[in-house]
Amino acid sequence: MNAIECRNLTHYYGKKLVYENLNINVREGSILGLLGKNGAGKTTTINILNGFLQPRSGECLIYGENTQHLSPENKARIGFLIEGHIQYSFMNIHQIEKFYSGFYPKWNNEPYWELMSKLKVTPKQKISSMSCGQRSQVALGLILAQDPDLLILDDFSMGLDPGYRRLFIDYLREYAKSKNKTIFTTSHIIQDMERLIDDVLIMDYNRVLAQRNVNDFMREFKQFYFELENPEINLSNEDFVANFEKVHNKVELYTYETEDFVKNFLSKNSIVHFNFQKVEMGLEDAFIGLTGKY
Amino acid sequence: MWKSVIYKEWLKIRWVAIIFGGLGILAVGNIFLKVQHDLVFNEATNYWYFILFQGYQFFGYGLFKFIPVLGALAVAVAQYFPETVNKRIKLTFHLPLNENKVLLMMMLFGTICLLAIDVIMFLLFTSLSLLFFPSEIIIATLVSTAPWFLCGFVVYFLVALIVLEPVWKYRFMYIIVAGAFVPIYLESAETGGYAPALPLLILFTVVLSISLLFSGYRFRKGEM
Amino acid sequence: MVKISRYILVVIAIVGFSIGIPKLYWMAFSKPIRVPFVMYSCIENDFMIQRSGEDGLMRQDTRGNNYTREEYEEKLPFLYVRQLLMSNTMPDSINGVEMDTHEISMNRSTFRVQPEDLDSQTQKLFPLFEAESGRANLEMPEDYFRISWRMEFVDAKSNKILEEKSQMFSAVLYNRGFEFPAKSINGIPTTRKSCDEGYLVVDSKDQLFHIKMIEGEPFVEKVKLPGGMKFKYISCVDFRNKNFYAYLFSTNNELYILTQDEYELIKFPVENIDPAKNQIRIYSDLFHYNIIVSGDDFVKVYALDTNYQNVNDYYETWPAREDRSEGKIIQALFPGQISMTDSDSNFIRFYTTFNSSLYWLVLSGLLIGVQFVIIKKRNLELKKNIIDFIIIGVSGIFGFLAVNIFPNKFFD
Repeated sequence: MNAIECRNLTHYYGKKLVYENLNINVREGSILGLLGKNGAGKTTTINILNGFLQPRSGECLIYGENTQHLSPENKARIGFLIEGHIQYSFMNIHQIEKFYSGFYPKWNNEPYWELMSKLKVTPKQKISSMSCGQRSQVALGLILAQDPDLLILDDFSMGLDPGYRRLFIDYLREYAKSKNKTIFTTSHIIQDMERLIDDVLIMDYNRVLAQRNVNDFMREFKQFYFELENPEINLSNEDFVANFEKVHNKVELYTYETEDFVKNFLSKNSIVHFNFQKVEMGLEDAFIGLTGKY
Repeated sequence: MWKSVIYKEWLKIRWVAIIFGGLGILAVGNIFLKVQHDLVFNEATNYWYFILFQGYQFFGYGLFKFIPVLGALAVAVAQYFPETVNKRIKLTFHLPLNENKVLLMMMLFGTICLLAIDVIMFLLFTSLSLLFFPSEIIIATLVSTAPWFLCGFVVYFLVALIVLEPVWKYRFMYIIVAGAFVPIYLESAETGGYAPALPLLILFTVVLSISLLFSGYRFRKGEM
Repeated sequence: MVKISRYILVVIAIVGFSIGIPKLYWMAFSKPIRVPFVMYSCIENDFMIQRSGEDGLMRQDTRGNNYTREEYEEKLPFLYVRQLLMSNTMPDSINGVEMDTHEISMNRSTFRVQPEDLDSQTQKLFPLFEAESGRANLEMPEDYFRISWRMEFVDAKSNKILEEKSQMFSAVLYNRGFEFPAKSINGIPTTRKSCDEGYLVVDSKDQLFHIKMIEGEPFVEKVKLPGGMKFKYISCVDFRNKNFYAYLFSTNNELYILTQDEYELIKFPVENIDPAKNQIRIYSDLFHYNIIVSGDDFVKVYALDTNYQNVNDYYETWPAREDRSEGKIIQALFPGQISMTDSDSNFIRFYTTFNSSLYWLVLSGLLIGVQFVIIKKRNLELKKNIIDFIIIGVSGIFGFLAVNIFPNKFFD
């Protein structure tokens, strides 16, 4: 059963194509990370998912309902974190808890107050006067108290310091896995994602580069390093090459093929090279490897 | 749920609404302080004469004409502007409620607050008038002030429309429309002269109440 | 509901634009219409016409003779009494009547009524003066009266009803056959008049009463009217010769005067006197009444002698604003216009005028074409824009602006 299903999504801004025939599926109980460079369509996707943007064609379904007109019952099942942890900042933490508690039948304020107790804020302090980190915790606390089945987190790591980010990711994964929650998330900081997500969706301008289990992806996507005798050689058009980066004669080659396949290819084509080695990658390296540095 | 919506709207506008209400009461009090003062310095019969035959408008004292408009403007800005900062209206639309109903609820609450303040001003104005003036003068006066109060609601509804509109170019054009339409409520006229126009003015005011649905819809469909 | 909100906004915009845009147009392009001033000369026995043109004032008679300023003023001695006296050009006698300044001023009167005087709030409260106080000057009473289900006096100082006085006057009115309430109360509610003659009051059965207060007592006289006579407007006058109480304008556009004391209703031999549509001015002097009826595009002048017999009349027309070039251009631009005010009324209304010519339809058609292109360019469905096309067709440029300011972008 899919929590989210997007079919043949196509959107333009004016004449500029964002993507064409994009399909996304998020299984119930899984955590999907949407990665992409700025402008690749991450925010567009989040906006369509939340019903704040009508795609040119195609549709997104959440729990079987078109996101353009979600029923109130369905919206109650979705927790939504806006990029920048936006909240009603004219309220204080008591007011905002009182406000939201009226909407959700499953409202459980324990995790919220647990988080709030760690903040050094006065009871009457308005959210607008809090620091970025404090605000993020208010927003997260509210989502946890809502106890939704699906969490859509737009760039949750923004403005958090590293320690808390780590803590939050671990907390979130534990929370999601133990309660079988589904998460759809984006983040600027890709290192974070590695510890959190089950599946990865990597977008580039106009297309999807990868959509699969993150462990499979990390296992199959590889980087090889070697130095060429003839720096003129260019392999970027070969079918098996996902990305080919070359500085003078030093090559980084990214591929889904095995080490043997690459070595065979080089020798079969008599490409003289030295210092061939497989490079271990993190998710961020793989992301850059796949999308290119520019 | 609706109680929560009202709670949020009240948090936004409470100070502005209270100040508006207070200023409104002060303004009405001020008018009648002036009336009382003028009656001390003039014969009552002459004062009535000025009103009946010389076109003197005792209620046009100070900026009274613009108080309902300015109050409504302030309430509308206080209520809708915070929703547009960082596109916070997304939070409202994400609440487990129908999006149009939330907007209508917000509008209804703001309208009721304005109405409550206007009713207080109206009752105070009418009861103080009864001390000094015959019904002919009071009725004509109320007819003359009615469009000013209606104008307050019109401005409230149009500001909601303008503030919630996501595209600046269109905001600007809505302001032009408002600039062409709103003055019809603020023409200078002899006392009671607005009577024939009132039914249509009331009709326009009532139907404009749902105008914020339009810019709300444009926001939801991702106009930018 | 969202679609309805759009149409509401479109209508509001059309209303706003059809008020604002023509207003700007007229501000930029309207030119004054120069109305001739026409008066009957007792010297020439002809009408003297003064017009302002491109090169200053022109003074003529109906035969086309031109006059200098001095000559012109001498032809109208009662209009320029002071000037003629000053330059010693006032004749000793005219038509065999010796010119006596006292006589001249006794018989000179001016009167004016215009549509806005009729289309105005009906006054319901009036001061009833003491007509014979024995004082040289009239004094403002302390109270005001209304005639609703009875005649009621309200004391201004206390804002309370004077019960005794009210009962006294009401009883007398009742006994004279007055049917309450009053339809109209007409008088001169000011102390700045030579004497008080009270009020001419029309009751709910269209009977006419003369009501005044003499030494604190009510004076009520019912005026005999021909059957079916109703009045559109009654204006009391305070002329020095005391010939009559008022000019009365009947609903069938006749003009009457009501003589003092005998209450005789005399009809002027003039036609189509409608103060609801035209400005009416009446000048009287020793020899004549000049009744000047002026509209947007014409002036009609009747000269009557002192026995109220018609001696001559004059009629002139000129192109109205709509028939001049600036008026024709606007007819091609807009289907009509709305104004909240009108020079012929004291009321605020939605004064809507539709153009009599249909040239604006050409522009509407053009704008429908432009809208068609816009819709095609945006890849929108034509079918969903039919109402917008109709709106543009009917309201022209106003609707074109409105439907584009509030764009028709809806998704299924």
